[in-house]
Amino acid sequence: MTSQRTVSRLSRILALIPYVLDRDSADVGEIIERFGYTEGQLTRDLNTIFVCGLPGYGPGDLMEAYLDEDEVIIDAADFFAKAPRLTSSEALGLLAAGMAVIGSGEASPALESAVEKLGKVVMPGADSALTVDVVDNSLHVGTLRDAASEQRVVRIVYRSVGKEETTERDIEPWSVFATLGRWYVLGHCRLVGGQRTFRVDRIKQLEVADETFERPDHVPEPGVGYSPSEDDIVCVIDLQPQARWVLEYYPVEVVRESARSTRIRFHSPDSEVPARLLLRLGTDAHLVEGEEVAARVREVGRSLLARYQ
Amino acid sequence: MQNVVERVLNLLIYLLESPVPVTSNDIRNTVHGYADQNDEAFHRMFERDKTVLRRLGVPLELEALDAWEIDEGYTVDPDRYAIPDPGLNQEERLALSVAAKMVRLGGTEAGVGALLKLGGMERGAGLEPLAADLGEGPEILGELFGAVTERRSVEFTYRGQVRPVKPYGIAHRRGHWYLVGNTPEGERMYRVDRISALSVGSRPGAFTKPKGFDIRAVVNAPPWEAGADPEVTTKVRFDSDVAWWAARSLGMAEPKAELTATIPVTNRDAFVGWVLSFGNSAEVLEPGEMRKAVAERVSQALEQVS
Repeated sequence: MTSQRTVSRLSRILALIPYVLDRDSADVGEIIERFGYTEGQLTRDLNTIFVCGLPGYGPGDLMEAYLDEDEVIIDAADFFAKAPRLTSSEALGLLAAGMAVIGSGEASPALESAVEKLGKVVMPGADSALTVDVVDNSLHVGTLRDAASEQRVVRIVYRSVGKEETTERDIEPWSVFATLGRWYVLGHCRLVGGQRTFRVDRIKQLEVADETFERPDHVPEPGVGYSPSEDDIVCVIDLQPQARWVLEYYPVEVVRESARSTRIRFHSPDSEVPARLLLRLGTDAHLVEGEEVAARVREVGRSLLARYQ
Repeated sequence: MQNVVERVLNLLIYLLESPVPVTSNDIRNTVHGYADQNDEAFHRMFERDKTVLRRLGVPLELEALDAWEIDEGYTVDPDRYAIPDPGLNQEERLALSVAAKMVRLGGTEAGVGALLKLGGMERGAGLEPLAADLGEGPEILGELFGAVTERRSVEFTYRGQVRPVKPYGIAHRRGHWYLVGNTPEGERMYRVDRISALSVGSRPGAFTKPKGFDIRAVVNAPPWEAGADPEVTTKVRFDSDVAWWAARSLGMAEPKAELTATIPVTNRDAFVGWVLSFGNSAEVLEPGEMRKAVAERVSQALEQVS
């Protein structure tokens, strides 16, 4: 087994050497920051470089590497004048990062030209073979990011995910993040008096106030999850195989699974969301438990039929 | 690990500096760190070190040393080893450094490894209140991306079946990674997190991509346009409480009040489902056959709860 740590360490050494060789002087502090070193790690790597070199391994064959006051000195290492080329994982990682930020609508023109240049070097035609779209829509993302940076209160008109209802509320945005194909804003909601995560695409209107707020010292890691509450409506649904996509789009619990059907438990603050889901699934889903949801399906279904007849 | 790091550095220097390919025996007798090993231990070590070199991006090659191909030697071409200079300016490096820190791939910073090779992170790439997580780890994506760029065929297991695929491109869309490629049954799209037992063909340039192929055109179509049904032009009315929401899904300008939209449909099932996700707040106006399809779906749903 080859440990990833060995590969990472070698990769950083092979990137460090050409960087230092290419310059008249390399400040220790700058190197530490640029290559993400601690002082101890840098010293250890320089000591390693110092004992390696050409076969014979005599004094004239080994590379030179040491700290001279505030400077990193590396010499006699011409064979490492360039870093090794990017692996496909590395290339994909950097291109995807660049494309994801461009897709957020938050990119500088410099990022666009950087990704274009990289694409040319990594592979001609990279842009027709790789695309990264974090989300469908990034309206409001820039405004929210600026508000989070400046710690300004934002008033939003929000359409809740669980309850299909629209409310107006003041929020203190801490961070804006994208995951699973959507943008979210994490912060303190003054309406409910606690920490909340909002889906940015469900913000209908937004207004940045003059008022500022104090960001907590420790902002929680961004993350999304639906936490069921006692007031939730619970129903149980059997899904046909062709309706399995529901598992990826709704916060549901799988009760049991077989090749022929999947039984799920669906928590939601009201019956509207599962009712609409059942309407769109037709024969691909069957409600096993949940009288309130059944009643709502009948109500909406009948009024829809009346409309269409 | 210290021994491995030193040995691999010495091995790489030897390979880069040697004017002719060298045999594994040359390596064993020359490079510091291999001596004093018995045959078996040497071979195990050497195999491991070759893997490390490849994972570092070193183009290690095996060449015949004579016309009869009896002896083979290892070589690293210094020109192919060296990273080409993309010619990034200071501003572009900073922009990439910020992006590399913001975006995560399978829980790790996606672009940092590449940036180090390109000269390190720029100062000022501090913490942003903006972040994105692209899910899937870089390992399998890297392999697939390598296959795409080098045009190597791949084979993998997908939903219990083995699929041979000519990979054309990779897309991240709505939180998931997809591979688009050609199969004996035509062009197909696969979710990367469901791919297992991937093997990549040994021959680069094994196929040609169709001229003008663009991954974006393949994956950007909304679900109701991603189908093979004959195209139908529909007209849908959305009530004012959901009109802004529908307009966003359709990529249209936001309406002041209600919205009547004309939507081309090539996947009827997906379209009917999408309209019904608006409950009572949307109605298909035209054509009659699509109204019928919606009503039929509602009747079916009613039967399921009665």
